Amino acid sequence: MSIMEYCGAAIVAMVGKDCVAIASDKRLGQQQLTVDMEFQKVFPITERTYIGLSGLATDVKTLHDRLRMRVNLYKHREERVIEPKTFTHLLSHMLYERRFGSYFISPVVAGLDKNNRPYICALDTIGCIDSSSDFVVCGTAATNLYGACESLWEPDLGPEELFETISQTLLSSIDRDAMSGWGAVVHIITPSGVITRDLKSRMD
Amino acid sequence: MFLTRSEYDRGVNTFSPEGRLFQVEYAIEAIKLGSTAIGIRTLEGVILAVEKRITSPLLVADSIEKILEIDSHIGCAMSGLTADSRTMIEHARVEAQNHTFTYEEVIPVESVTQAVCDLALRFGEGAEGQESTMSRPFGVSLLIAGVDERGPQLYHTDPSGTFLHYEAKAIGAGSEGAQTELQEQFHRDMALADAEVLALKVLKQVMEEKLSNTNVQLAKVTEQSGYHIYSKEELQEVIARM
Amino acid sequence: MSSLLSHEIGYSAPIEVHNHGFSPYVNNEGTSLGICGEDFVLVASDTRQSNGGYSINARRSPKAFELSNRTVIATTGCAADAKQLVEDMEQRAQYYVHKHGREMSTPAMAQVLSQLLYTRRFFPYYVFPIFAGLDAKGKGAVYNYDAIGNIECVSHYAYGSAAALLQPFLDNQINKAHQRGADTTAKPSRAQAVKLAIDAFTSATERDIYTGDWLEIFIVDSEGVHKLTRELKHD
Repeated sequence: MSIMEYCGAAIVAMVGKDCVAIASDKRLGQQQLTVDMEFQKVFPITERTYIGLSGLATDVKTLHDRLRMRVNLYKHREERVIEPKTFTHLLSHMLYERRFGSYFISPVVAGLDKNNRPYICALDTIGCIDSSSDFVVCGTAATNLYGACESLWEPDLGPEELFETISQTLLSSIDRDAMSGWGAVVHIITPSGVITRDLKSRMD
Repeated sequence: MFLTRSEYDRGVNTFSPEGRLFQVEYAIEAIKLGSTAIGIRTLEGVILAVEKRITSPLLVADSIEKILEIDSHIGCAMSGLTADSRTMIEHARVEAQNHTFTYEEVIPVESVTQAVCDLALRFGEGAEGQESTMSRPFGVSLLIAGVDERGPQLYHTDPSGTFLHYEAKAIGAGSEGAQTELQEQFHRDMALADAEVLALKVLKQVMEEKLSNTNVQLAKVTEQSGYHIYSKEELQEVIARM
Repeated sequence: MSSLLSHEIGYSAPIEVHNHGFSPYVNNEGTSLGICGEDFVLVASDTRQSNGGYSINARRSPKAFELSNRTVIATTGCAADAKQLVEDMEQRAQYYVHKHGREMSTPAMAQVLSQLLYTRRFFPYYVFPIFAGLDAKGKGAVYNYDAIGNIECVSHYAYGSAAALLQPFLDNQINKAHQRGADTTAKPSRAQAVKLAIDAFTSATERDIYTGDWLEIFIVDSEGVHKLTRELKHD
């Protein structure tokens, strides 16, 4: 089994009308064994930029810590909040630094820029940016998420509609993936703030 | 003419110049020595009734079984050399279970009858490369009663492997008298309860002994409860209605 | 010049090793789905045939077949095995008519299919069938199987290269999974089922390179089998 599928994850980000959403499951596993049902995979980077990290749990934690350090340094040096796109390039460089010994992580970034324009993208383990104007997915349930997103997503969804769409997408997808699930969390990033909601799901 | 018959009696599968298979015909004759068995079909279900010959007061009557279950929806009464029926019933049961296993549905009554009849002519030397299983024809005749999606049905099989669909049929020693009686008494839309009584009445007429709940066996096959053999008490209740 | 010469002398053609190994299976990919309605069933398959690489063998090679006037079968996996399996089924259905004087019922055919697959337990047909039809009461029934005959009666199912893409969507739209307050027992109408099948395949074709070209939809109702064809993306 690939090390990318060792822990299990389902992360999805979607673009709405003047808002973005990012959601993940909460399971942490060691292959088929579930060891945590409250594992955090989506992290706030700024007040309006979030990152979802799927892959090996130790790298999730390490990369998140390093990112926090780099974002804080950016804030002090630049005296401004990092933009999602800038942050993505920072992340891309950090990943490419480890070109021949990479983090076992495939990240998803979602945020609103200073003009409240939605920004989402996914990266591979060595930092290649794949930006998208509709949705991005990662984790062991990626295929399931692609199928559900492709059929359920539509343009210009408002925050509540976007919440419903991303929730239905994520919950339906994790039900058909043994490696992810055990509850989920959704963040809707809007110009007026972030709405965070926990979702119940099948616990098996 | 029949005095010269012996020449063609020897081989079990040799036709006589008149085109007859004597051994098979004799087997059919053997049935007429057997105890009487009766089957009556009604719209509610089929009744099977047989007499048991209690040849000795020391004989345990319950040990004589002449009505047997083939599947939950099919029963069978027999007359003649009942030991031969073991092979046929076993074959019928296997065939029924196989059908359920393969198709996840109960076997049609006609199919199980056909399966039994397929056995009937497997006697003699056997064809090229085939092992013959039996040296002579079966000496038993069966009344196969069942219910499937075509409703309640009654079939009669004989040692030649022929089977016929009946509404009411009697076989065995008293079959001639019994069949005549059935032709007079039977009508197509009679109730099952009336058929129970008719079956026993006809049996009573052809039996040498006095009919009781130990020397007859009665069974029914209905849509609702499938094959059911009557207990002593249930039998007594029917006798009381006669 | 001398160096070139020495280079030429130093060069020896690699010894070519020919392996004559025989691989009995090929995955011809593609996707099939089945949806069960109250008084109908729907089965849909794309018609692209490939062999796991980047080439397309055929753009119009059907994977779904009409078995009788009330049953259909959709396959994925090895197309050759699927063809043989369908012929086996047709033969068994015909034999049943001869032996028992009636058409085989849908549940009986479902069971026969399971056993046909299991008889090849140790050299299986590389086929993942979805079998659908109307039962004796005219109600829809969809069955899915693994390659060795494990059978399951379901409300809907997807098999093939885009199965993972379709299945969560169908769970959500047909079983109304996670839709609060929705009637989870209601079965889709015929129009809904057709729309879902087309939507599902349109989405699958976006992401799965092995699914595409044409979509064949079979609908079985009390009147018989109806076939619809829709164009999918050819890229």
